[in-house]
Amino acid sequence: MSFAFLSPAADVVARSPMERQARAAGARFELRDGWNVAVAYAGEEQKLRSVGFSDCSHLRKYELQGDLPSLEFGRSTVDGDATWLPMTRTRALILGGEPPAGALEVTTGFGLLRLAGPLARETFARFTAIDLRPQVVRPGDWRPGSVARTPGGILCEAEGRFLMLFGAALGQYVWTVVADAAGRFGGGAVGADALVRGEAGDEASAEAGAAGA
Amino acid sequence: MSRLPAQPGERIDRTRPITFTFDGKTIPAYPGDTIASALYAHGRRTFSRSFKYHRPRGELCGCGQCANSLVQIGPRPGVRACAEPVTDGLAVKHTNARPGLDFDVMRATDIAGGPFTPPGFYYKTFIRPRRLWPVYEKVLRAAAGLGVLPKHQDDREWRTEYRRRHCDVLVIGGGVAGLAAALRAAQLGADVVLCDEDVEPGGALLHEGDHPRARALVEAARAAGVEILSGAPALGFFDGLVPVWQGDTLHQVRATRHIAATGTIEQPLVFPDNDLPGVMLAGGARRLAALYGVKPGNAAVVATTGDRGLEAALALHAVGVRVAAVADLRPDAGGGTFAAQIEAAGIELMRGATVVRAIGRQAVTGAVLAPIDARGYALEGHARTFACDLVAVSGGAIPSTSLLLQGGAKARYDEATGRFVADGLHDLVLAAGSVAGHEDADSAELSGSVAGAEAALALGFGEAADRATLEQDQSRLRDRPAPSPVATPPAVARDREKRGKAFVDLDEDVTVKDIGLAAAEGYDSIELSKRYTTVTMGPSQGRFSQLASIRALGAHTGLTESEVGMTTARPPWVSVPMGVFAGRPFEPAKRSAIHGRQREQNATVRWAGDWRRAYDYGDPEAEALAVHEGAGIIDVSTLGKLLVRGSGAGKLLDQLYPNRFSNLKPGRVRYGVMTSDAGRIMDDGTICRLDDDSFYVTTTSAGASAVEEWFGWWLATWDIDARVTDLTQSLAAVNLAGPKAREILAQLSDADVSADAFAYLDSRQATVAGVPALLLRIGFVGEVGYEIHFPAAYGEHVWDALVAAGARPFGLEPQRVLRLQKLHVIVGQDTDSESTPYGAAMPWIVKLDKDEDFIGRWALEHAAEHPAETALVGFTMSNGHVPTEGAVVMAQNGGPMGQVTSARRSRQLGAVIGMAWVPAALAEDGATITISDEGARHAATVTTSPFFDPEGKVLRS
Repeated sequence: MSFAFLSPAADVVARSPMERQARAAGARFELRDGWNVAVAYAGEEQKLRSVGFSDCSHLRKYELQGDLPSLEFGRSTVDGDATWLPMTRTRALILGGEPPAGALEVTTGFGLLRLAGPLARETFARFTAIDLRPQVVRPGDWRPGSVARTPGGILCEAEGRFLMLFGAALGQYVWTVVADAAGRFGGGAVGADALVRGEAGDEASAEAGAAGA
Repeated sequence: MSRLPAQPGERIDRTRPITFTFDGKTIPAYPGDTIASALYAHGRRTFSRSFKYHRPRGELCGCGQCANSLVQIGPRPGVRACAEPVTDGLAVKHTNARPGLDFDVMRATDIAGGPFTPPGFYYKTFIRPRRLWPVYEKVLRAAAGLGVLPKHQDDREWRTEYRRRHCDVLVIGGGVAGLAAALRAAQLGADVVLCDEDVEPGGALLHEGDHPRARALVEAARAAGVEILSGAPALGFFDGLVPVWQGDTLHQVRATRHIAATGTIEQPLVFPDNDLPGVMLAGGARRLAALYGVKPGNAAVVATTGDRGLEAALALHAVGVRVAAVADLRPDAGGGTFAAQIEAAGIELMRGATVVRAIGRQAVTGAVLAPIDARGYALEGHARTFACDLVAVSGGAIPSTSLLLQGGAKARYDEATGRFVADGLHDLVLAAGSVAGHEDADSAELSGSVAGAEAALALGFGEAADRATLEQDQSRLRDRPAPSPVATPPAVARDREKRGKAFVDLDEDVTVKDIGLAAAEGYDSIELSKRYTTVTMGPSQGRFSQLASIRALGAHTGLTESEVGMTTARPPWVSVPMGVFAGRPFEPAKRSAIHGRQREQNATVRWAGDWRRAYDYGDPEAEALAVHEGAGIIDVSTLGKLLVRGSGAGKLLDQLYPNRFSNLKPGRVRYGVMTSDAGRIMDDGTICRLDDDSFYVTTTSAGASAVEEWFGWWLATWDIDARVTDLTQSLAAVNLAGPKAREILAQLSDADVSADAFAYLDSRQATVAGVPALLLRIGFVGEVGYEIHFPAAYGEHVWDALVAAGARPFGLEPQRVLRLQKLHVIVGQDTDSESTPYGAAMPWIVKLDKDEDFIGRWALEHAAEHPAETALVGFTMSNGHVPTEGAVVMAQNGGPMGQVTSARRSRQLGAVIGMAWVPAALAEDGATITISDEGARHAATVTTSPFFDPEGKVLRS
């Protein structure tokens, strides 16, 4: 296959460009889908009262070019486990799910940080001029633009929760900027599940409740 | 002590006394006091010494607009004491006086230094002999300055952060008009931010007797959702972006509509010794009393040109200041109720009169009031002297139009009011309140409400009924009474005595006489006058001096104020520490996935474009030798990497490059040089064909983004089936090179890397240390080499495996030596914007026999027929000197004719080698060239083939 060299290794652990910083911040790691993922830190609850950020660089990413299904600029499209982010009329990034036919694996080309909390928008305001006000950006909206003075984009996943995309080689720099901004509000790094825990926890509770009934 | 009984609406909290120090002396204060109000209450009247003459200066404005009360707090110079809140334990020092404020030896410049310090004296004195300038500079800096920075960098660094804020409406100014505007816009549904430079919004109402109204408006605005930024001046207007500075935060506010409710600035009067402590703006005196409970004087004289001063006189009288007399320049003192109230209070009111002299030495002890003639001279026999310790002046008020003017409005002189106003506002900017001519509180509030509604409705907020309400309000605003008349003061009012300096600009110690002297020397336009005399260039940036300087210049030249005009309004509106603009100390830096490991291996890291790269690992010579003797490994992850796919991919590359790629076989690699339309070298790299429709293109590290853009730009123009994906950051890459490189790779890869199976310029896809990779058998450093490209997430793993197998890390510096030995060009170092492939000794790159047109074809055809005057060659130094890169190569006739682009000492070769552009006639083996470097001339011998392995046998083995 012509692009086998872009594929993940079967038996080698993949590492985020921000792993060293996560380790220095006291992260506990787990192996997930071939990646060393930071899953927990001390003091997460306290941080989440203002803003938490987690490294989600392990999420699969693909690029598709050519004739695309009709996508709305400024909006993401969810298709099963995949989220489509239109970049141009003929280019889209896809987060998660299985690669569509003709897509290129670009997982390692981008870093991803998820930010959430009551002060997430204020944290973003410290390093990007993308307008994330709730009256302007709704859940599902996608805003490519400058983040921390580098090319990237922000996806509004849910009210108060955002996913920020940037070049992998800038990972160490972006972590530094985000940690500095979040730290100002008492926030900081949290594990990969901490920012989606409410949803996962609710489902688990519902199942347990149903099983016990 | 000068404290008054508790005043309604005062800012201070008398229940919690605190202390601070001023020049080491303990001063009592209350929370809410400013440094100046507390010092004033304690009896201090001299707050600073003036910039040039070191004259004592006292409180003037009381609101942080002037430079009369600059102090130093710790490492921070230039703090305005009349606006800076006191905190318990604060340590404050005076500035610009030695040994102290009450006695300053530098006052001698005022007494005796006049002939040495005329306007523009910097251009006339202290410049000869030139060699003494460093001495003069030190003396002058010590003699005149506004604070001292700490010696150590750590102590004077001040980093702030940026906060980006989008909103629908930004209101600048928190007086009654601004608050009303913000409230109305928010009530209609707009997202509103209001910024105000004072510590508490409310504006003049707070100290002019209606603080409950101001504070009620503030509460209403907050309740409506307005974000109010206090202590937050707007610094400028940058095409819709307004930076607002608040403490350690710079808010970058981007609004769809702006409302300037920036108010007016009360003006001083110009008369002899108008700078004495005790001469204060009427508003400043009112602030002291109303906000801080400080009695501004025991006996006062008030001089005014309008109702503002009359109101101030009544307010001072109400708090127990004995107002000896009021001089109103208007012949009828306005004819309104204020004049009647003044006289009813038993205060003498002189109509058609003004102050013509202040009396005193260290502070005011008296004032002379008189009616004046058209030139400002007191009428003979009518001058009256009054004993006083306070001269409250009010020379009218100018609209604070700087931001409006920065936003594109034009300044126009209004004869009726004797001041400049702003006309022709930008479409997205509204003005409200006194800056727009609505001076009384009711008019200002209504105009604010109108502006707020206009802004919000223009953005689609509100309903039809709101539009109807707006129309009614606009009509009511038009029917509001006109502001009370004001008189225009003369350029200077004086009695017949010759003594005393009449200051136009207190910050810069510029007098009326100085303006006249400058005009007589030919600096007779306002822009020249400003730059020659420095008038308006001080910390208050002309707030209290621009109009006075225009009047003074007009008086000397015979021009009207309108003809003199204003200087250009520029940001920042207030003086700002550089750290406010610096923001956080983080700079975007790209790092490869292996960077962390390299630092652990003691790499010296430096900038290479926007990447941080390993320069060496402690011993660049040994690292280079290791490549020749065993195997070396260098991180080349920074190379640009583009995947070009599609049935037209080959055609695209043929049209973009002067060489040919459509005939490259899958699994083979070819070197490519990209040229511009003008046939000049832009970038280089390798192109590997992956399959019939796919090519993997590498570029220089610095050129990756530009090349991707270039590809995309041309693709958008040409109808070719091809797509480009930038994989630069997706893939890490390392170059493994040396006699043992093959052996090391064989241990770690599942590919057959034998010489027969994997020849020079072949490519393979295989695993290395268990990681899928693209291997390119290419070389930049002269030995057998493999460039290994693989997903970046495995960077350290692959690196570690190769190092463990025996490869020695080497950095950019040894790489430079190694590639120089092979005469490999570094685009941008050995080439410039005029270099063609022909001049750079790469004629074989250009395939003019291609059927396709390609970028730069016409220019290269021309270049092929007209050889360049210089050519790129290698050279060996005769004397072992390592020439500076950029050193000049001399022509045969002795003039400069080329330059050294690269030079290094090669331990492998035992010689100093380099590359240079030399005259074409000398571009042959064995020729001698002369290099001029650091004042000496050096001989070198030209070579046109690589120094090391010239036939490439090692590379191809």
